[in-house]
Amino acid sequence: MSLHHPAPISHHPGEELLLAYAGGGADEAVSLIVAAHLAYCAACRRRSRELEALGGCLLQELAPVPMASGALDAALLKLDGIKPFERPARQASGDCTPSVLRPYIGGDLRDVRWRQVGPNLSYVPLFRRGAIRARLLRGVPGSETGAHRHAGLEYTLVLKGGFSDETGSYAPGDLQVMEGDMRHSPVADPGEDCINLAVTTGPLKFESLLQKIVAPLFGF
Amino acid sequence: MLAYARIRPFPRRKPALRLNLPMMPQAQELNALLGRVAEMRDQAAFAALFAHFAPRIKAYLLRLGAPPALAEDLAQEALLSLWRKAHLFDPAKASAATWLFTIARNLRIDTIRRERRPELEPADFMPEAELAADDGLALADDEARLRAALKDLPADQIQVVELSFFADKPHSEIAAQLDIPLGTVKSRLRLAMARLKRIMGEAS
Repeated sequence: MSLHHPAPISHHPGEELLLAYAGGGADEAVSLIVAAHLAYCAACRRRSRELEALGGCLLQELAPVPMASGALDAALLKLDGIKPFERPARQASGDCTPSVLRPYIGGDLRDVRWRQVGPNLSYVPLFRRGAIRARLLRGVPGSETGAHRHAGLEYTLVLKGGFSDETGSYAPGDLQVMEGDMRHSPVADPGEDCINLAVTTGPLKFESLLQKIVAPLFGF
Repeated sequence: MLAYARIRPFPRRKPALRLNLPMMPQAQELNALLGRVAEMRDQAAFAALFAHFAPRIKAYLLRLGAPPALAEDLAQEALLSLWRKAHLFDPAKASAATWLFTIARNLRIDTIRRERRPELEPADFMPEAELAADDGLALADDEARLRAALKDLPADQIQVVELSFFADKPHSEIAAQLDIPLGTVKSRLRLAMARLKRIMGEAS
């Protein structure tokens, strides 16, 4: 199964985000959305590998700290008992779901059990740690999310369909990063449902009164 | 920013980086040792890799704040992982040092941060598309070039690059720690990355 799409990826994680992923400083939810973007984007895969090579160089340059005496002997004694690692057999995705997402979803996108949050919008919580949350969001074609700002960062990766807002148009594989007080009102593109992976580091700040009241009930 | 790059007000001193000892195995040798572990389960090759990498991985974990006993245990564990996974090492994709770095990084995330590390699966993309953009870099030959380039960076740029790998904190906190504005951290990082990228671009 390939995730390659005819449309080229036009919205990428910045250098800083790739560095946080490759260096290991990014938390799990942010790493998840970067890794899912990499499944679509050969250019960022290459860049991420270069940054890992930089990590390898830094490791080489670190002043070694001696291991305890006997550490090597202790390791050697264990070697015979260690079986070579076997990669677990992977079940191919039936609908091009990036495999890095499948453990979080518990299968493919088409198996997801959506929770309705309005006539046009549904979601699935995937992950939560403190204020950081990862979710799948699905909007019917043409649906509006409603103008909002952010208390933290909002990362959005398009998995199916697409959406547009004041900042541009987003297709599968595109990653949008909205910071703090940037305001936007995304609208799902016509045609098919728009399915996104969204990671937020703080609640969304909606402008409409109804959404202000309803959003916190669903944890948005 | 340009003026900054020209003037270079900081001494070209690299406090955190040590000089290479002449005995230090080169990237090619380390790759060859890893190949011997993969193909022959060669314990002498393992011992040589252990002697080289375990103290560096321990240093890496200490830099990230691990208590000494834990750093020792995890460095040991990382090398046992090398023994377990050596057959998965692909020298066309990464140098031995880069591969060990990713093992140590993921081990730390698993055991110290107690988080999962979402890793890309090669099954996700087509082999023919791979060839276009995924190959070429991070080979053993490039490692020497990248290391030379790294040493050639101004000290203040090396510092922010290092902290990006060894601090486990966002750039805002790095800025606070160094007592410089966030914008300065970002611009130093950008300068460093642009230079390294240019050098790696020339290599491929």
